[in-house]
Amino acid sequence: MSGHATKEFKVRWGMVIDVDKCTGCGACMVACQVENNIAPATPEMDAWAGVTHDASNKLRTLTWMLVYEINNKKAFPEYEAAYMPRPCMQCASPACVPVCPVVATDKNEEGGIVSQVYPRCIGCRYCMAACPYHARYFNWFDPTWPTGMDKGLSPSTSVRPRGVVEKCNFCHTRFQQAKDKARQDGGDPNNLPDGAYVTACAEVCPTGAIVFGDLNNPEHKVHALAHSKYAFRLLEKLGLGPQVYYYSKREWVHRLGDNYLPNEKKA
Amino acid sequence: MGLDRRAFIKFVVGGAAGTLFTPIPWKLADDASIWSQNWSWIPRLKYGALTADATYSKLCPAGCAVKVKKVAGIAYGVEGNSANELSKGGVCPLCATGSQMLRSPSRVAGPMKKDGDKFKPISWDEAEALLAEKLKGLKGQDGKVAAISGDLSGTANEVLSGFLAGLGSKSYFYMPADQTAMAKTWNGVMGGSGQIGYDLEEADLILCIGADIMDAFGPVVRNQKAFAAKRPMEGDKALTLVYAGPVRNRTAAVADKWVAVRPDGAAAFAMGLVNLLAKSGKSASLGGFSEFADLAAKFGPEAVEKLAGVNAEALKDVAKALFTAKNPVVVVGTEPGQGAGVALNAAGVALNAMLGSLTVLPEFPKAVASAPDRAGLLAKDLVGWLNAVDAGKAPAPEVLFVYEANPAYALPQAANMAKALRKAGTLVAFSTFMDETAALADLVLPAPHPFERLDDAQNPYGLGKATYALATAVVAPEKDCKGTPDFILGLSGKLGVDLGFGAFEDVLKAKVSAIGADWDALAGGAAYVSDKKGSAQASLDAGALSKALAGIKGEGLVLVAQAHLNIGTGKLATPPHNLPTIRDTELYGKDVFVQMCSATAKSLGVSEGSKVKLAAGGADISARVSLYEGVMPGVVAAPLGLGRTAWDPYTKGKGDNVSKILAVSAEPGTGFSVWAGSAVSVAKM
Amino acid sequence: MEEKKTTKCGGGFLAFVLGFLLSVVAGWVVFPSLLYSELDQPIQFSHKIHTEDQGLTCDSCHFFREDGSYQGMPTNEQCSGCHSDVIGQTPDEAKYVQEYVQKNKEVPWRTYQYQPDNVLFSHKAHEPFECTECHLDVAKADKAPKYYENKLSGYSRDTMKMWQCERCHAENGVSNACHVCHK
Repeated sequence: MSGHATKEFKVRWGMVIDVDKCTGCGACMVACQVENNIAPATPEMDAWAGVTHDASNKLRTLTWMLVYEINNKKAFPEYEAAYMPRPCMQCASPACVPVCPVVATDKNEEGGIVSQVYPRCIGCRYCMAACPYHARYFNWFDPTWPTGMDKGLSPSTSVRPRGVVEKCNFCHTRFQQAKDKARQDGGDPNNLPDGAYVTACAEVCPTGAIVFGDLNNPEHKVHALAHSKYAFRLLEKLGLGPQVYYYSKREWVHRLGDNYLPNEKKA
Repeated sequence: MGLDRRAFIKFVVGGAAGTLFTPIPWKLADDASIWSQNWSWIPRLKYGALTADATYSKLCPAGCAVKVKKVAGIAYGVEGNSANELSKGGVCPLCATGSQMLRSPSRVAGPMKKDGDKFKPISWDEAEALLAEKLKGLKGQDGKVAAISGDLSGTANEVLSGFLAGLGSKSYFYMPADQTAMAKTWNGVMGGSGQIGYDLEEADLILCIGADIMDAFGPVVRNQKAFAAKRPMEGDKALTLVYAGPVRNRTAAVADKWVAVRPDGAAAFAMGLVNLLAKSGKSASLGGFSEFADLAAKFGPEAVEKLAGVNAEALKDVAKALFTAKNPVVVVGTEPGQGAGVALNAAGVALNAMLGSLTVLPEFPKAVASAPDRAGLLAKDLVGWLNAVDAGKAPAPEVLFVYEANPAYALPQAANMAKALRKAGTLVAFSTFMDETAALADLVLPAPHPFERLDDAQNPYGLGKATYALATAVVAPEKDCKGTPDFILGLSGKLGVDLGFGAFEDVLKAKVSAIGADWDALAGGAAYVSDKKGSAQASLDAGALSKALAGIKGEGLVLVAQAHLNIGTGKLATPPHNLPTIRDTELYGKDVFVQMCSATAKSLGVSEGSKVKLAAGGADISARVSLYEGVMPGVVAAPLGLGRTAWDPYTKGKGDNVSKILAVSAEPGTGFSVWAGSAVSVAKM
Repeated sequence: MEEKKTTKCGGGFLAFVLGFLLSVVAGWVVFPSLLYSELDQPIQFSHKIHTEDQGLTCDSCHFFREDGSYQGMPTNEQCSGCHSDVIGQTPDEAKYVQEYVQKNKEVPWRTYQYQPDNVLFSHKAHEPFECTECHLDVAKADKAPKYYENKLSGYSRDTMKMWQCERCHAENGVSNACHVCHK
């Protein structure tokens, strides 16, 4: 679709998110911020510029993982709602990568995680415009933690300054740590067992709605789940080939996931 | 040869050319690029050994078994503890940011005393001497010393209530919750013993009446785990979840069926089910059941439709599902988890008894012998007492202790309650954070953060088995704080009240050994689970219930307050990291949104984004309207947890406190304070 | 006319050469000493005493943890195993015990191979290589080497640069994908 050759990987890290089990509690969003050193929106931030950074203004918040609330658009009593956690889709042929003028983002590592190198990013935001999933975020402000809170930062992710784009990277440092652990235990770092590497959101989820693993490996749970008839991907029609699958037994969720028109027949 | 202008230029050009053969330009360019990547105000990370220490986090009401993640000994994160039966590796959105809250800007730095409008720091010894002096003269006089506790499961309550008992006071109250309302019903009105439990793990059908088990009722993470375990993605589901309540909330979103029930008619709906099941031949071995069944006969499908807004077919469907399920469990409660009236709770107990799924957990043995029984204290009516104090019908206490609670903010008719609290001679707040009650207090004595202290949880309400968990201090205190029970033990020593222990650790050790559990295993993060069952002997008081049920009108506009764990609780304001989880349809800028369906909005003459004033019980709040078809007609839904007046700049002044307009009334027949589904008026501003 | 021109030209060329030479000398000799601050470690640690006199091996202090991460500079937890009290004669050891062990403070060691937060380096993945391929050979040194801090970037002079990492990866057929080294 994008005109670029899609790289094949032996390992493809991916998720299957059970929409029917997600209660929208938000624990994944919180765990993600903690793991990845996302500073909370500070009310007095950039007061000199007359700009306040309020977390209720969703145009300025950084939510690598964002739980959307979706509904079947019907009135009471037929109304139904569901929650849809949205990390970076780690597309097979990402729309964000070819538009980056400085190769700050790339999909080139075994595992298929789309990388983002912050010091390289020039903040042009082409990638944000290109991403149909709104998974990318721009640092409008320098990160500021409440006094003292920055003493307890996670060692997993570097702190990004103002002016760069960032996004979910499937808690990539955990991948590296899992490989180190495998090496230490005499295992194969390129063939991690199911569960050796999980993202912070999948780990914390109280209903286990987020399942993480290698989509290519039949020994990983996600392999079979992604092939289930109830599995679908967001905006599949665009052909970007996300490595994040959703799972629902509700037809309207499937239709919404691919943005079907009310009367359109599903392919 | 002199140095003329031309030679000088050549010298300079030579110099410039020369630099190209040195590292200067290349190195400077390289370093400059690095320089621009490392601003001094961007914090650097800390590295070292990664460790994780197990404890039990009581930041959320029920608690999560967690492991506190540390780098080089500094806490930075949290992961679930899958070895603990209580939360089985899951973490709620509050405990997920537990490590950040260690360094919350709202933390109280040390003991403080009110001095005019401000607080002035004092030492722990001064605080102890001050209180000892005040309490000395009050010994032996009932009602002069009172306490409010917001920790419903901790053994710390035995120390505090034992101390009060030693001073001759019986005024020990718990903050209202589904648990206290059920204790009032089961232990009070019905004369039962032990604690009502819900064995969700074994259920094949869970019917929630009002209880938002995925967000507000009981141990939320355990509820979520129990639900998820029966809903594998591969294979068939082994559990049907039905939600009966006014809002398509988080429980309803994952439920197989949502039955819209008016919040003021939940008891009528439950009685309707009792009636249908009784007609199908189900019975319960509870005293007074036949009179109760006769009472239920008044709640035929037509009556239920009128009182609860549920049509006859839907009611019959639910009854049929309950009748045919192998292990159905009925969970009763209220949307915000603050407790329903006796009528709904009694109907819930009766339903479970009829379905053979009434679970009663035995109480764990006490550690502090002189402490009053927990069940009796839980059954007391705090709101009723404070209302009486406010109205001058009950004497205000000379000294009022508030432990792990924020009554000035979280009780219904919050403004009145704050006024009543202020009538106390000396208000003492034991609080980790500078909450609304602490801001009001005369003495603020900071309790350690849950990760910094020794604590425990016995039978968090909602579990199906008697369970005990221990919390140990896994990080050193960041502030000058002191464990409240330890402080009380010190104080009791000064006042000559003998509780039998010198330190809280010894209390807990005695508790653990009385239970027969292993301290080391508990300290290592495991929970103690017992299969022992309590006695299910109790009786239904159809007379009182008849009066209570007669109070249901089923008409007019009613308010349903919703507690969302991610927004926080009464006692914990939204942590900074949780702010992004609040939707802009719940809070935008300084405006809180109330939800209603388009039919309700039309009848009120308001539309999406309208600014409205909600009034009830002599108080009002301002809000904006958000149209949400998941709220049944005649109902306005509003989120709790906003509109903070203390805390920090992250939460203060955002939205309005919905608790202010929860209008309290006395349930007819039982006199118990109720406010679930109270009437509200909405006017366009 | 012509003579005059040559003279002028020669003198001019001399000025050019002089300028050239001066700046080359300045660039190679003076510039580095201006660019770097020469710093000492907070404690003059002697590897020699530990390895030769006490017979410790490298991995007595620098080892892999159970999770495969690397204990670079040892912490008090390791050092105080022997140095809970002063056991030797050197003034630096006494200073270490008094100022760090007894005050329960970690030594702010300077890392010669300092890497910024956006770099993720796995020692485990590089285990087959000799330490000295990247690190200074200090195993037998009696004094901690001088630490040269770049005044502009704040990095150590010995910090390995990205091109060096990439070259080695390329030569060894290892991926140079961004996330292999960045976080």
